Formats: sequence, structure tokens, C-alpha cells
Amino acid sequence: MHGTGFQSPIARLVQGRKGLVGRFLKGDHSRFLEKHAELLDEYFRESFAISSVGPRLGVEKNPCAIVALGGYGRKEQCIWSDVDVLFLFKKGIPDKAKELVREIIYPLWDTGLDVGHATRSLKDCAALASRDFEVLTSLIDGRFICGISSVYSNLMEKCCRKVLQKQRQAYINWLLKKNKDRHHRYGDSTYLLEPNLKEGLGGLRDFHAMLWAGRASYDITDPRDLEFSGHLSHEEFASLNEALSFIRHVRNRLHHMSGRKCDQLYFEYQVKLARALGFEAENGQQPVEAFLGALHKQMEFLKRQHLIFLGAAAEKKRKYLRKKSSRRNVSTGIELINDSLYFHCPEAILHNPLLLIRIFEKSVVLKKPLSLAASRLVKEFLYLVDTKFQKSKSVIKSFKHILGAPSQRFSALTEMLNTGMLVALIPELKGVVDRIQYDEYHLYPVDKHLLRTVQILKELRDAEPDSDNAFFADIFREVRNPELLLWAGLMHDAGKGEGDSNLEHHAHRGADIVARVLPRMGFSKEEVDSIAFLVREHLFLMHTATRRDIHDERTVVRCAGRFVDDDHLKMLYLLTVADSRATGPKAWNDWKAALVKELFFKIAHILREGELGSPAAADTAAAKRQEVFNLTSSMSKDQRNLFFDQLSSRYLLYMPSRDIVRHMDMYQKLDARPFVLETQTDPGADFRTVTVCAKDFPGLFSKIAGVFTLNTMDILSAEIYTWRNHIALDVFRLKPPADEIREKEIWTRVNNNLEAVLKGELDLSSALEKKIYSGRIARKEISLMPDKIVFDNESSDFFSVLEVYTHDFPGFLYKITHALFQCGLDICFAKIGTKVDQVVDVFYVRDFEGQKIDDPDQIALIKAFIQGILATGRSTSCGP
Amino acid sequence: MKKIEAIIKPFKLDDVKEGLTEIGVHGMTVSEVKGFGRQKGHTEIYRGAEYKVDFVPKLKLEIVVKTDAVSEVLKVIEQKAKTGSIGDGKIFVISLEEVVRIRTGEKGEDAI
Repeated sequence: MHGTGFQSPIARLVQGRKGLVGRFLKGDHSRFLEKHAELLDEYFRESFAISSVGPRLGVEKNPCAIVALGGYGRKEQCIWSDVDVLFLFKKGIPDKAKELVREIIYPLWDTGLDVGHATRSLKDCAALASRDFEVLTSLIDGRFICGISSVYSNLMEKCCRKVLQKQRQAYINWLLKKNKDRHHRYGDSTYLLEPNLKEGLGGLRDFHAMLWAGRASYDITDPRDLEFSGHLSHEEFASLNEALSFIRHVRNRLHHMSGRKCDQLYFEYQVKLARALGFEAENGQQPVEAFLGALHKQMEFLKRQHLIFLGAAAEKKRKYLRKKSSRRNVSTGIELINDSLYFHCPEAILHNPLLLIRIFEKSVVLKKPLSLAASRLVKEFLYLVDTKFQKSKSVIKSFKHILGAPSQRFSALTEMLNTGMLVALIPELKGVVDRIQYDEYHLYPVDKHLLRTVQILKELRDAEPDSDNAFFADIFREVRNPELLLWAGLMHDAGKGEGDSNLEHHAHRGADIVARVLPRMGFSKEEVDSIAFLVREHLFLMHTATRRDIHDERTVVRCAGRFVDDDHLKMLYLLTVADSRATGPKAWNDWKAALVKELFFKIAHILREGELGSPAAADTAAAKRQEVFNLTSSMSKDQRNLFFDQLSSRYLLYMPSRDIVRHMDMYQKLDARPFVLETQTDPGADFRTVTVCAKDFPGLFSKIAGVFTLNTMDILSAEIYTWRNHIALDVFRLKPPADEIREKEIWTRVNNNLEAVLKGELDLSSALEKKIYSGRIARKEISLMPDKIVFDNESSDFFSVLEVYTHDFPGFLYKITHALFQCGLDICFAKIGTKVDQVVDVFYVRDFEGQKIDDPDQIALIKAFIQGILATGRSTSCGP
Repeated sequence: MKKIEAIIKPFKLDDVKEGLTEIGVHGMTVSEVKGFGRQKGHTEIYRGAEYKVDFVPKLKLEIVVKTDAVSEVLKVIEQKAKTGSIGDGKIFVISLEEVVRIRTGEKGEDAI
């Protein structure tokens, strides 16, 4: 169609775009968006000029124009932005218009650009614009490209100015609502992880909305007018431009990288983009974290400017509706106008800098937000916050009031963060502002996360009795000093502001920061220690619950040893819940909640019982460990550690170090043998101590006891321990044999009997029966005192505790433990004592699977069975 | 090809994963699950109020391997996940008809 040397408009466009993108990638991004829009303008002008239909349209009678709309109209043309154009005719739409569109638009389709076009007459436009504000909005951004310019002027005059004039208020209302909806839609939890650069909070659309509202409210037609008209300060306008150019630049890069119109900053692009934009690792942050931090800061700024501007436009609207505004002084220098708080005048702050914190306190008391003007003033007068201000008792009192106030729709604390007041007050938090942690786990920058944690703590505290959080509210009420918990919430990640991002390290650094900050806030040493403890250990419960065996008593006992009292456990539990919830959905779900809750219950239980989990018990365990280590210096450190790890909590608590060492020795001798039995005669003692070390199995204890009875040895007391590696250590105290001369012989027989029993070569119950009937074991008097059997499932989370109070009779211990075995109970720990003939036995039992017995029917059966044994045992002696 | 499903105690994940990586298993799916078997749920008593724990939190691993690797994988999971106490979990081995790698369309053992 065209001669050689002539390049078609579309070819020029394609080549122009290629050159432009090439220069962009080489680092020349100046005015990219405008240049891109101008390339498109050129295409439309040229292709309109050489169009074959154009001359036949009869433009003299029905003038027409091509108008750029939307982002293209604003010359905000990213690499893959939509191209929206309007073919505008003064009168009706001629038949030939279709051909024109085909000639001009179709070639664009092959370029991969998304082209939208409309063909309308002036009249259509006016009608549509007054009916549909969406159309009106796109026309507001309309820009003349080519054709007859008077048609375009007509359009702007008729549609935009007149329609806007008539429906200004309705349009602004619509704009406000639309923005609210948009923020609501994009304001869900994903917005910080994968922000939408256009539609999201702080996205470019926020700026557009400012322009549209400006057009409607103040007839602003150019962004520059925002400053000239005094709506933005010079600095604000400069910052706004900086934010816009950064976001636009990121968006353009993203378009190029994804090869399409992609405005959502998906994970897959974030690392690459950070590199492409030249971000570098610094201050322990990855490039991508620095990039997202910068982006978040700019978007946050844009979001705030947007809210301020639209808020002002809305106030103008409200003033218009309500001729007289309500206005009252709420304290010296602060007044309430139309439901938001204002400073009386900037000078008031200079006279009394305390107003800078007072206004937030008033906001909390009156439940009214700061006005945007007030926020701006706070920001500008922050330089008044010096060390004297920070340490002022009055300031601290106000801040504590704000921190503890019930959670509200708007948060004074958040406003303090946004204005910079919070960091001015606690400069130690500076490092966490806008600090992003790059993973799929942390949804919020650290500063926002801290405030969310405080917010959630308050929600837990203030929960209604029948709500999901009622359980936490109950615990909260029991906490002695809830203020400490809120401070821990506010400070728990303060350590992330400096140094590496190692999880454990930041908690320790945070505790150090707490130790520096909190004393100046008027807390006592003890209170500071509590907060520092919570901050240092804020990951402890979650880590233990998900990474340790919480069904192992020793684990829980060790955990319990970390807490000075259960008040600290409650606070740490609440902090764990709030912290996890404030992190994001991946950090908290039903599954994790169940694990942490169970751990909390178990530790609470151990702490309440006190015996195993008190700090004293932890000290005893530590001291014993040291003593045992000193006594076994010949063993390697690893060996000793390994051994020590196998000991159960109760064993460790009750067993003297010397005996532990002796048992270690027995354990080493055990090896492949069925058992090791050692007797010990303490000088001057009127009893013998017999210790049996064996691989544990249900029924072991009753067999040992039975062998003693068979050899006419009276059992005075006994203790049963089971190590964690399933080794049983049973320690008996026996009356010395009547014939002490033949004692050695007796022990040999006991050894042989036990070996035979364990091998199954000797039937213990029939042997015992024979022996008792033959009268070789004296029967005792029958007592009329009733027996008592207590089955307790509340004292321990790991065992059912069975207590038996009765009168001794021959073979008692054998029979009772044999009965437990027959009931399917495994004895893990027991203390058996005899005083005269009164027996007090405590058995810690589990079923053969290792679980507590909590079925009421089963418990009743067990009790009845034991009752029966006691009754028949006394009357008839051995043998079930 | 077999699919191996293992229910394990949550705190054993790292051990099992490490063991499997050592023998060359590089892919698995992990889910947080709740359930009960012999290890029943139980009731926690806190301040006199009862809190029923019906289901015990566990992790479920799903691993697909060639048939001749099954016994080795089973051995590793069994060893690494064992505490000797109740609730150590179970391992299921399921025959697998087909595997497709979505990106490339590869099928069968090539897609594992």
C-alpha cells in the first residue's frame, strides 16, 4: 500500500516502544510514561491522517475528534497499560465510523496492547456522564489527540463542567463510597504481602481519586494545582511526586517483567524487582526487604495524603450540608469540631508542648479521632519532643492511659505511630518502622505488627463472656498487672529493628531494649524484669508446642521451670496468642492453637502442683545434675548427658545424687540381663534396701514384690520409678530377715526365684498360695477400719493417680500390684509406705498404651476390683 | 510407584525430613491434621472447667516414591518418628496408578 522507505504508523509505534523500553532498561526512565503516551498519540494522529475513510466522513458537517481517556488521558502510560480512546462526533455517529475504527484500532491489536474504544456523539456522552459517574470519571481525564479540537472543548464544557457543576455533591459522595469499597476490597490481609500498585491501599488510584475530587470540589485541573491552591504544602507536594514516581517506576518494571498488565506485586517478582531496582542488603535486611520497606513507606504516604485530601473534600461537603458546625473546647488548647479533635491553634502547641500527647489521650477518652489537620500539626511539631518531654511524668501517664484504653474503631495508638509521635516518645522503636520481613508468614511490617498485637491483646481482654475469646478474657482477668502484658505486646519485636533477623536473637535484643526503655517509664525493677521476660520468651511456648514432645512430662516440667509463677505463664500465653494472630493466618490456626493451649494447660498444672515445676524444683534438678556429674567424672560428657536425659522428673526430684550414681552403675551392668538386684545394709539401720533395675514391663513390680513375700521378707516401703527409656528402678525397704546369719543365702534365693519368675519357670501365685496356706506366713488380725480407694485424674496430666489406704496383710503389695496389672494398669511411679499396719499407697498408673484412665465405667470397675482384693485378701490371704 | 502417607508427631518433622533427605527423597507434602486412633482425645481441666480435646494434632506427610525405594523410606520414617510412646503414628503405603508433572506433562516414574 505504501512505498518503500515509508514506515507505517503501526510499525513506527512498535519500533518506538521497543526503543523506549530498551532505554528504560538501560536506566533512562525520565518521563517514560509521558513519552509512551506521546508515541501512542503520534500513532493515532498519523493513522487518522492517512486513513482512507477519514476524508469521506464529511467532517465539515459533523466534526469529529479522537480523545484519550483514563490513564492514557493522564499520560500515565505504563508498558502494558490499557489504551482507552473515544471517537467523538459532534452530531450523530455516521455509518462510516465503523470503518474508521477498523482502520485505526485493529492494527493495534497485534501489538499486544489492550485497546478499548468507544464511538459516541456529544449528546450520548453528556447523557451517559450524568447517569454513570464511571463514564464521567473517564471523561474528566480526557485529552485531545487529533481531529477537530472544538468538539473536544465542547465535550469538556458540556459533560465535565456542566454535569459536575450540577451534581458536584452526588459525584463526591459517589467517589468517597467507591474509594471506601475499593479499600475494603483490597484492604484484606494480602495487601501487604502482595500489594496492588494500582488499586490497593496507597496505590496509584488513591492519587487519581485526589485529582477527581479536586476537580469536583475545587476545579483543580492539573496536579500542580494541588500545591498552588494550598491543599498541599510545598514539602507534601514534593513528597507526593517522589512517592508517585517511585510507585509508577515499580509498576512499569513489573509490567515489563511479567510481560502483561500486572499491577499486583506477586511474590515471584519481588526478589527480581528488588535486584532490578538496585536495592542492596543493609543493616541485616535483604534487598527485597529494603525494597518492600521503601515501597510500603511510599504507599503509606500516598494513602495518608489521599485520606487527608478526601477527608477535606468530604468536610467541605458536610459544611455545605450543615451550615453551622458543632464546636466545643474539650480542654485548654484542644477543641472538638464536627466530631474530630483540633488544636486550638498552632501557637498553643508552642506554648504547651504537652498538647502533643494530650490530644491522643483526649481522643481515647472522648472516643473521637484526631482531625487530619491536627495530625499534620503533630507531625510538624515533633521536634518539641525531647528527652525532658520523654521523661515527663505527665507524658508517661497520658501514654499509659492511651496504651491501656479499650480497643476502638480508630486507634489513637496507630495515629501516634503514623504521626511519628510513638517513635518520638520511644526512639528505640525507630528501627522497626516500615521494616518488612520477607516471607509468606509475616504479613505486616514490624511496627504495624506491634500495634496489632496490642490491639488483639485488648480484644482478648475486653471479650464478651460468650464469645470465642471468652476463655482468654478469663485468663486476662486473673493476670495481676495487665499493664505489663500490654507493654510486652508493644515491645516484643523491638529487637527486630537492629542486627540480624535471627529469631532467637531478636527476642534477646528486645529484652535488652526493654531493660533500657522501661525504667524511664516509671516501672519498678521487678516489673521491668517481668516485661523483659515476656519479650525474651515470646516465642518459647509456640516453639515448644510445635517442636517438642509435650506429652512427655519431663518436657513440660522443664518448661515449667522457666516461670517464676503461673502469673507469668498466663501473660506469656496471652502474648503468644496475640502475637501469632497479629502475624498472619499462617502463624495461627486451629491446629497450632490446640497445641499451644494444651501446653499451657500442662505447664499450668505442673506449676500449680508445685512439686515438680517450682523454681525450687528446677534448682534442685540443676544442683543434682552438677553433683552427679562431679561423682561420675570418669564418664564422657556426652555419655553423662545422654544418661541424664533419660531420668524422669520425679526420679530426679526424690532420688539422692549418690543413689542416682549407683543406679547408673546398675544400669550399665544390666545390659542384656533380665534384671540387676542389689542389696544394701546401712550401718545402724533396722532395714535393708533392695534395688532392682530391669527393663520395664507391666506387672514387673508385682512379681518382685511376690518374690519377697515368698521368701518371708516384710516390705516396709517401696518406690517405683520408670525412666524415660523404659527402665524400671524399684527400691524396697525390707525388714531384716529373722535369721541374719543366713541372710546371704536368702538373697541368693530371692535372686534365683526372681529369675525363674521372669523366665516363666516359677508360677508365683500358686507358689504363694501354697506357702500362705501352709501357715508359713502369719496372718494378721482383721481390722474393721474401712478401706479407702481414691482415683484421681486431676493431679497429673500424664498419669492417673490411685491412692489406696488400707491395713496391711501378708502378701498385700504383691496382690494389690498384681490386681492393678490384671486391670490393665502399668505402674510408672509409686510410693508405698507402712506405718504399723496402716498402708498408704500412691500409684501413678497408665494403661498399657501409656494413657490415663478417664472412662468413668472403667474407673468404677477398677475400684470395685481392688476393693474386692482387699476384702478377700484380708480374710483368705493370697491368690486371686 | 507407591504413595506413602505417614501420620507423625509434630515435633518429629525435622528428624524425619532430614532422614528422608539423606536417602535422596526430595519431595513431600506436609499438612497439619487432627485425629485420633489408640491415642484418644482427652479432657483438660483448668480451674475447674473442662476443656475437651477430641482430636490430637498431628502432621501428615505424603511422599511418592518408586516401588523399590519403599522399604528404605519406611525404615527411615519408622526410625526417625519413633518415641516409643503412644501416638507415634502410622504409615500407610498406597499403590499409585499414575503421576503427571503438570509443567512438562511427564508421566510415571519420570514425574516423581
